[in-house]
Amino acid sequence: MQQPLTEGVYYILLALYEPRHGYGIMQIVEEWSDGRVKLGAGTTYGALKNLQEKKFIETLAGEGRKKEYVITSLGKQIVEAEVTRIKELYNNGRKIIKAEGDL
Amino acid sequence: MRKFKIFMDDAKEEQWINDMASQGWHFKSFNFPLYSFDKGEPAEYEYRTEMLEGFGYGKAANEYLDFVQSTGIEVVQKRFNWVYFRQHKSKGNFELYSDQSSKLSYINRIFTIYSTLAVLNLIAAIINGSVLLLDESLRFNSFIAGLNTGVFIALLYPLAKTVYRKQNLKREIAMYEK
Repeated sequence: MQQPLTEGVYYILLALYEPRHGYGIMQIVEEWSDGRVKLGAGTTYGALKNLQEKKFIETLAGEGRKKEYVITSLGKQIVEAEVTRIKELYNNGRKIIKAEGDL
Repeated sequence: MRKFKIFMDDAKEEQWINDMASQGWHFKSFNFPLYSFDKGEPAEYEYRTEMLEGFGYGKAANEYLDFVQSTGIEVVQKRFNWVYFRQHKSKGNFELYSDQSSKLSYINRIFTIYSTLAVLNLIAAIINGSVLLLDESLRFNSFIAGLNTGVFIALLYPLAKTVYRKQNLKREIAMYEK
């Protein structure tokens, strides 16, 4: 069983379905979450390092601040498993609280 | 403007620099034991301090600083592994670490430095102190032993605070997946 991802890592992986550089990731994640998830520069940097070590993402050509990252096929499997996990949480929550409509 | 100040606690220093900034005094540089400020608009910048990994030099440190700057954050001053960053308030809230687990690994880094310094000073105090048992006239050693003891005691406060911050974060992490 895969460990749950942190919100930040989950969003970083989603952001990298398209190649992006560090700041681009931080901006798109803030936009997608309506400003709720503001990734810190230190957090993003550390996460990118870890994700590269785990081979969930890789770098494209480019040096320094122009360096771009993209998700690998292993990374995509991780995201898919996470979406399944979140769906289970969501469905059970919805059933128990008897939510209606859009929730 | 210049101000004389000595801090033993990184969180207190950061707080003080931000208090100064909210009054329109923008931190420019620190040259022990003087802090220099420029006059500007009140509450224009938010400051963050960080202890870099290792000694703050080499490829890893440069790569990290380059990354941080590419996100629109300014490096105001870097001395060895100690960095002062700032970001304009128009860019919103400024945190280098936005989730609990990365905050915890940063606090662990600070804890390692404080505890290493404390242990080294304690050892030096004991060595210099025990030399006195052999020969009481060694004034220099007695001075150094006193100095080491003083630094050791001064480090206990930030050390205890770091432990407290660590425990609080661990409790948060146990409950929230952040």
